[in-house]
Amino acid sequence: MQAIIESINWSIVAPFIVIQGILMIVAILDWAKADDFRGSRWLWFFIIVVINTIGPIIYFIFGRRR
Amino acid sequence: MQWMTLFNKEMVENWRNKKWIWVPLVIILLAILDPISNYYLPQIIEAVGGLPDGAIINLPEFAPAEVVMMSLSQLSSLGVLVIVLMAMGTIASERKSGVSELILVKPVSYRNYITAKWAALLALVWAALFVGLLASWYYTNILYGDLSFKSFLLIFIFYGLWLTFVISIIIFFNTLVKTPGLVAFLSILTIMAMSIMTQIFGHILEWSPNNLSSYIYEMVIAGEVSSDLVATSVITIVLSLILVFASIFTFKAKELAS
Repeated sequence: MQAIIESINWSIVAPFIVIQGILMIVAILDWAKADDFRGSRWLWFFIIVVINTIGPIIYFIFGRRR
Repeated sequence: MQWMTLFNKEMVENWRNKKWIWVPLVIILLAILDPISNYYLPQIIEAVGGLPDGAIINLPEFAPAEVVMMSLSQLSSLGVLVIVLMAMGTIASERKSGVSELILVKPVSYRNYITAKWAALLALVWAALFVGLLASWYYTNILYGDLSFKSFLLIFIFYGLWLTFVISIIIFFNTLVKTPGLVAFLSILTIMAMSIMTQIFGHILEWSPNNLSSYIYEMVIAGEVSSDLVATSVITIVLSLILVFASIFTFKAKELAS
């Protein structure tokens, strides 16, 4: 496992991690200000944080009533 | 000018609900997913293990053109799904909540209202496609080999026409029904039905918009724009414009009736 981790070229994989990070941060910032959720506020928090990548996207599409 | 006001309102709204951030990011992710995962496939297989000793797997070597096509096919499936879900409520939810009535009480023409929405969505999707394909082009050049900037631009322009068509379909169904979920369902159904029709009647529907991707592939391989590609593009643009006109017409009829 160690060898595999070392063999990964991080400059190539980094964009994935960065994009996932930005998606999650933007979703959380939006979530913090919003008050028109479809369903429970904290459920959406867990969806954004726990489900990698897809969670924030689902939140952006379905999360708010607007 | 009224149209610009409506257009700016749409742009501001798409910025406020973060569409200008998340749509490009998702498109980038989809566009670079296949180029990178295919490049690391040998290591992934090794890491997963479970192969008997001495087993040799010959993985195909991909040409740059094939890699770009992987990005496009990813965008054609998941990318289109994301775009449909993102745009499904653009008019439908405004009509449901009554916002559109507030706007249309004022002397706003239906044509301006629809085309401003259409243009704002197109700006967003074309921008997202540009950054997505740029990322894909970058990785293709690093990992697989040269692909000229000119072919990148041509791929971007011709594939953008397909997404323009998708947006036009979504706008059309937005004016037809009021439920965003139904808009998404009908749009996806239409795109799938068109792709099936194109496959069955391939010899007649040579210039169906669904064939854009395959002509783009031919273009990248051959290095020149074929007449089939141009004809398909023209058909796609014409169909998109017809859909927008039909949207204005149905919207007018529906609003006057209600």
